Amino acid sequence: MSSFWRQALQVAKRDLLVEGRAGEGVGIVLPFGALAVFVVPLATSGSASLLADLAAPVYWLVTLLFGMQLALRQTATETVPQRRLLVLLGLDPVARFVGRTLSAWVLLIGLQLVLIPLVVLFYEPEPVPTPALMLPALALYALGLAMLGTLAGDLTVGLRTRTALAPMLAAPLAVPLVMGASQSLISISRGEGILTWTLLLVATDLALSVAGVVTARPLEETAT
Amino acid sequence: MTDPIVQLRDIGVRFGTVPVLVAVDLTIAPGEVVGVAGPNGSGKTTLLGVVATLIRPNSGTGRVLGAALGTDDVRRVRRRIGLSGHEPAVYPDLTLAENLRFVARIAGVTVEAADRALADVGLAAAADRPAGRSSHGMQRRIDLARMLMLEPDLVLLDEAHAGLDQDAEVIIDVILERTRRRRGAALIVSHDAERLARQVDRVLRIEAGATV
Amino acid sequence: MTKRILPVLAGLALVAALAVALSSPPDVLQGDFVRILYIHVANAWLAFLAFGVTAAASIGWLVRKKPGYDRVAASSAEIGVLFTAVTLFTGMIWGKPIWGTFWDWGDARMASTALMFFVYLGYLALRRATPDRQARARRSAILGVIAVVQVPLVYFSVTLWRTLHQGLTIRPDSVQMEPAMLVALLVNVGAFSLLYLALLTARVRLARLEEAAEAHERAPAGRAVTAPRLETGQ
Repeated sequence: MSSFWRQALQVAKRDLLVEGRAGEGVGIVLPFGALAVFVVPLATSGSASLLADLAAPVYWLVTLLFGMQLALRQTATETVPQRRLLVLLGLDPVARFVGRTLSAWVLLIGLQLVLIPLVVLFYEPEPVPTPALMLPALALYALGLAMLGTLAGDLTVGLRTRTALAPMLAAPLAVPLVMGASQSLISISRGEGILTWTLLLVATDLALSVAGVVTARPLEETAT
Repeated sequence: MTDPIVQLRDIGVRFGTVPVLVAVDLTIAPGEVVGVAGPNGSGKTTLLGVVATLIRPNSGTGRVLGAALGTDDVRRVRRRIGLSGHEPAVYPDLTLAENLRFVARIAGVTVEAADRALADVGLAAAADRPAGRSSHGMQRRIDLARMLMLEPDLVLLDEAHAGLDQDAEVIIDVILERTRRRRGAALIVSHDAERLARQVDRVLRIEAGATV
Repeated sequence: MTKRILPVLAGLALVAALAVALSSPPDVLQGDFVRILYIHVANAWLAFLAFGVTAAASIGWLVRKKPGYDRVAASSAEIGVLFTAVTLFTGMIWGKPIWGTFWDWGDARMASTALMFFVYLGYLALRRATPDRQARARRSAILGVIAVVQVPLVYFSVTLWRTLHQGLTIRPDSVQMEPAMLVALLVNVGAFSLLYLALLTARVRLARLEEAAEAHERAPAGRAVTAPRLETGQ
């Protein structure tokens, strides 16, 4: 295995190992997201048709905002001594970006999958004819959010206002991702094609990877 | 005639608007171990950061292991620099052994070397203890184990003696001995003048950001 | 010299623009409300330009690392926020009599411009949060690069969204322009462009003065620490 991929996988493995032990994602963000899904209907008239219509928008909103929380979780945020160590070890900054994105991607897919049955349970939306068609869109959506979250996290490392600033920077830039995923679902429910929206997701993910690669080295300096 | 390992001329660093280092000169020859002493806030840690190529100087010129400071050339030599800072660089949720193994894998060194270094510093029995639940002294030993494992040509120790018991001091002695033998160099910051004097060839004094 | 000329020119141009806007013919469909569009479209164009300048200067800084690029990027962003706010505001004022509502989700451009406004605000928030000058320049330049890649996609995705879900019929850009109206529009664009240049040069100059004031000789950090004035046995 080339040293680039070895390093990237080591970083991803470390992140997931830390998450397995610290449990901030699975133990806190996930239940918090589930809670958000649960609370929204309490703020409505409770009409079944309204909730059925709200199901998808609430799902996308919660996966976006809480997905950002996942990608930016504190236990995955490296301290200055840790970052300095990695810089001196010669960790390729692009490998680091890839590794962090991979681990965030895994966690985000987990979040998305867990929230689906909850939304179906509490909102009872119209059943979707071929739900399996959504899988590529969900994967691409999660990948884009993972990259955006990693970038926003690295951009705000060490800043006191990081907790609010990072999601605020990422959210408007996440619109093409939310658009692609949500419109794919709408198209599938209508029996229409999802090629356009899939292409939008692919284009956005490509653009974000380019941004990630190009900014990896300059971002390395912000950490030292 | 061998080139110096570290050569700083007239180095200045400011954080925001505040100058922290002012016109620092420093030359370290191969095989030399230099100590740095000075009052709180005098810029010792910042100096170490500059020599580690992690802090870009705002003025002056410098070369570390032949690479010019402030240029991309430093990426070439970073792998040969070992830094143990104020705070140990460990991941609290990983065990002591996992911390070293992670570093080994990133650096392209064998896992066996990591385990050997862990045993050398006397932590073999605590290998499976999470780093976050280990004492500061134990975490410091991990930092030093890393140096033993990676054998850097330039060793930088900040507050070298803080948190280390008498037993563990031999670790620093061995690191310095091996570094000298390899014709590398070391820069050590410490408030403990007595222990420092014993381990270094000369002491550089810094006050208010300038060498005196 | 430029210090005086540019603002005066801009001021004169704005007066001329106002005069032309008020004296140009009313639109067949919209009547007098079309006049708001001259300001709206001019500001929209400037908001884009300002954003483009910020993006280009950000890339310039990452390549060259010269502080001048950072000053231009930040100044242009601040001015861009202003122009974007005016674009949104005039769009809403125009929308009320024409659509009967201040906001129409059917207008892809307004929605995208609102999103770009948030991106600008984020950029400025990041700058405010970073005290160290070098770090501030680096981080905002990086955000500038990320934004340049993402914002066109944001626009594209919102436009795609609207073409597939039909909205209302009258768009700001669907107005049939008579020559006289075109002149009014161009004069406004020209006037606001001069305003942009005047504001940009003034803001960059201010930034340079701020930096010079900061760089003025300060005592090193270590001087602030003295020996404690305590003794044992008291």
